[in-house]
Amino acid sequence: MVKQITIISGKGGTGKTTIASSFIKMAHDHIAVDADVDAANLHILLNLTTIKKEDLIGGAVAVVNQTCINCGKCEELCRFDAISGSTSDIKIDTLKCEGCGVCQYICPAGAIELKKDKQGEFYTSDTQFCKLIHARLNPAAENSGLLVTMVRSIAEDIAYAENKKLIIIDGAPGIGCPVIASLNGVDFALIVTEPTLSGISDFKKIYKVAGFFNIKTFVCINKHDINDKNTEAIEKFCASNNIQVIGKIAYDENVPKVLAAKNYIIDYTDSPAAKDIIQLYFRLEKFLYE
Amino acid sequence: MIISVASGKGGTGKTTVAVSFALAARYCQFIDYDVEAPNADIFLKPDIKNIKKVSIKQPYFLTDTGNDFSKCAEFCHYNAIAVIGSEVIFYPELCHGCGGCLLVGPEGAVREKDVVVGEVAKGFTTPGIDFLKGNLIPGSMRTTTLQNELEKMLNKSGLVIIDAPPGNSCSMVMSVKNSDYCILVTEPTPYGFNDLLISMEVLEGLKVPYGVIINRDGVGDSAIEDYCTERNIRVHLKIPNDIEIAKIYSQGGTLLDYDSSYGEKFGIILKVIERISIGEADNHN
Repeated sequence: MVKQITIISGKGGTGKTTIASSFIKMAHDHIAVDADVDAANLHILLNLTTIKKEDLIGGAVAVVNQTCINCGKCEELCRFDAISGSTSDIKIDTLKCEGCGVCQYICPAGAIELKKDKQGEFYTSDTQFCKLIHARLNPAAENSGLLVTMVRSIAEDIAYAENKKLIIIDGAPGIGCPVIASLNGVDFALIVTEPTLSGISDFKKIYKVAGFFNIKTFVCINKHDINDKNTEAIEKFCASNNIQVIGKIAYDENVPKVLAAKNYIIDYTDSPAAKDIIQLYFRLEKFLYE
Repeated sequence: MIISVASGKGGTGKTTVAVSFALAARYCQFIDYDVEAPNADIFLKPDIKNIKKVSIKQPYFLTDTGNDFSKCAEFCHYNAIAVIGSEVIFYPELCHGCGGCLLVGPEGAVREKDVVVGEVAKGFTTPGIDFLKGNLIPGSMRTTTLQNELEKMLNKSGLVIIDAPPGNSCSMVMSVKNSDYCILVTEPTPYGFNDLLISMEVLEGLKVPYGVIINRDGVGDSAIEDYCTERNIRVHLKIPNDIEIAKIYSQGGTLLDYDSSYGEKFGIILKVIERISIGEADNHN
């Protein structure tokens, strides 16, 4: 049976992708998924050969044609404030429209259609370590949750066909739709947090979200030594909520420097962060391949 | 004038920059549009005066009436309703609250109730910052419902500073689309650069003029700066990489606590943006 782990954080920039890419290099019999589809970065350190590319069609929006009789019914019933000027010159805000179809249904003149568009692309790529399933959401597009569900289902199919043991999912920041789509049905969540007041505030939210899914959750405190008091507060919170703090990573200026050179931090074994990430991986590994 | 602060990559310093603008301006409206992970209040420490719950309407089905709800299931574009025999299965997490099932279902048998998805908090920071934030309830996916609520409270008569969520999808667009100018905060790493390029594409599509602030300057290479020079994109400021800034930030301190001259620096950037937006200055280096 394949196990799945999603790396999340609430707050952005706490080190999700650095940790995910390190895990990808160390793991075996695995597949990687980049579930941060509107700001995907996991592919940057990998040597990619894309073997399959598909379109994401979705995100229906309402489109009006000239037969509109300016009755105003659609504007009245739209719950998303997406329609304005319907009694004179109707305008649909495609950003606010959620494609629910109420306006199309209610329109007495049959003047409204729902149109689906290409929202992005998703890819299956070979890399030097494992297959990577990733995506590119069109700039400004919606449906990032749908795209996350798509890349995950491709990864699950491949894992099944190739008898893989582990899927590593690099999640998006925040606690909303794409994050929820990346947690649904996984075995483990690794929350990467940092000892800042912002990090703690967002950590508590994402911890709640993970709680709804009944997932075995681990916590890793990145840059733990920039604020010992806050690190202690996180550890205390975890202890009282029965969450395992499975690793702490030191603040290390080598991390961005090594990244800028497009290298892996874990290859610099003398670097404090490298040691901590390697240790974190081995502590997790026994759960991942159980 | 509305100035938004955005960044494709998370954790590059959006809130740090947005807060610096507000403190430099002293009088403005500040809106935290990052409703999934709002943090600006940690730094601006507003006195919250008013909290309003935000809810959407979701259906429930009176199944003991013997009615057939299959039309509701057929209609729902989000697959939130399934009908099996006489039973209705409703998936509230998929429901957008559009009210479609109410329209197509048997009359009177589909009812609605309010479901809270978050709250909007209003407060004040001296001397003159009107503070607003949205706060999504963990587990809810109605990010844009809260952002719509914030949009209704925009005070376009004065200066507005918007702290946007990370990313380049709809919630980011909702935050920047009304702006007169957008500041993209980035960091000199390949991740920062990659996400910056996507954000630029979004803003160009929306026709919102933008400039760049490079945070943690010195950690990586000059690729971003070189790119901006080549494309004639204005880099307003470079904030050095200094562990002291990280430490101050970790306790809820601001860039002005680190070095008070940042007040003046951000004041100058505000003036430059104002001149750009009225056409008195060019928006390039």
